[in-house]
Amino acid sequence: MTNIFLADDDADDRLFFEDALKELAIPTELTLSRNGLELMSNLETLTHHPPPHVIFLDLNMPLKDGLQCLQEIRNTPKLKDIPVVIFSTTANVDTVNKTYEQGANYYICKPPSFALLVKAIERVLSLEMWQAPKTPKEKYLLAIA
Amino acid sequence: MSKIKLSEATKELAFQMEEREKRAAELIIANKELGFQNDEKEKRAAELFIANKELIFQNDEKEKRAAELLIANKELIFQNNEKEKRAAELLTANKELESFTYISSHDLQEPLRKIQTFSTRLISEESHNLSERGKEYVLRMNEAANRMQNLIADLLTYSQSTTTEQKFESISLKAIIEDVKKDFSEDIANKNAEIKVQEIYDAPIIRFQFRQLLYNIIGNSLKFSKPDVAPEILIWSRIIIGSNDINAKLKAGQAYCHLTISDNGIGFMPQYKEYIFELFKRLHDNEKIIGTGIGLAIVKKIVENHNGVITATGELNNGASFDIYIPTS
Repeated sequence: MTNIFLADDDADDRLFFEDALKELAIPTELTLSRNGLELMSNLETLTHHPPPHVIFLDLNMPLKDGLQCLQEIRNTPKLKDIPVVIFSTTANVDTVNKTYEQGANYYICKPPSFALLVKAIERVLSLEMWQAPKTPKEKYLLAIA
Repeated sequence: MSKIKLSEATKELAFQMEEREKRAAELIIANKELGFQNDEKEKRAAELFIANKELIFQNDEKEKRAAELLIANKELIFQNNEKEKRAAELLTANKELESFTYISSHDLQEPLRKIQTFSTRLISEESHNLSERGKEYVLRMNEAANRMQNLIADLLTYSQSTTTEQKFESISLKAIIEDVKKDFSEDIANKNAEIKVQEIYDAPIIRFQFRQLLYNIIGNSLKFSKPDVAPEILIWSRIIIGSNDINAKLKAGQAYCHLTISDNGIGFMPQYKEYIFELFKRLHDNEKIIGTGIGLAIVKKIVENHNGVITATGELNNGASFDIYIPTS
């Protein structure tokens, strides 16, 4: 069972994500968080659970945004190795650069169709991210087509 | 009284008389001298008076000038302040506009993506519940949403073409052209297009912006090609010295890299040569050629970011040509 975390304040996007996971061949378990605070508290319980395979992290979220979460995760010894994939509506150059510097593994723009979303998630799950060296800058922004 | 004494007294009197006359004569001379000196003094005084008046006049004039200068100075300071205020206001307005464009574009994308995703799901998951007509509607809805997505993406590029950091580098234009050609490889193959790159001189440019510029112009040449003629795009550059004869906007004496990109496409009517650079201005409707009317506005902005000049020439059904002048230093 592949353990996946998703932090996204948008209900539709969470629904799309859940449905997309059902389309995958591999069995997955999804932990949803509606904002950054919830994500961090969900990650707190990790001391009792195996850590997630990957965290899909939205950037614009209330209470605590994605960038703050990313910083906290990378500065917390027991969390710092968990792969983080930024999952955002737009890929503004500044944001892409900032999240790369803060240590996110990959950056994906939320795709404009359901089929592409399934493809995007499949693609991320196929990537070897645990203990992997830092992603080269030119491969950081994942293009899904 | 003796006679002797009398005569002595008379002598004494005469002497005294003589002395007195002498004194009187001396006094007259002294008096005359004094009168003369007085005259001189008065003359001097009169001269001094005139000189004084002149001085006072000059002083007045000086004060007047100083006052005038003070007013002029104040006016200048005021004008300067006004100018600075205006510049600051303009900067703020510009920044606001840019962040407005960015935020609105970014925020517009989210609901749009929902429409796209739900409509694709309707087609792929619910199509058995839809009539042929229903499917057609959903497809059209999806197409419209896709167009809107392009529009927003272009608008974002436009608003970012000034905000992002600008670093001028001397990079090979040829390499960038090759790069852009790769982006269009599919289109080039489908349309049997030929892009001829002739002699190319380089200029200091902002890499990603210039790539965008070439992408938009070459993209346009491919898009606005004649349906039955294989597109031919010619790119070349040379170094020229700016003069009013070439273009009034060029700085005389300044060296420019003059880049020309011309094609054999459908062209445009010459009266639209400036109109096409305006934001959202289009010459075709979406039925015939899809577009957002932002591409050339971005191109113009990028050229201006490079302190350059761009002109377009064209004829209907006889190709379009873009001349870009970028300062070499």
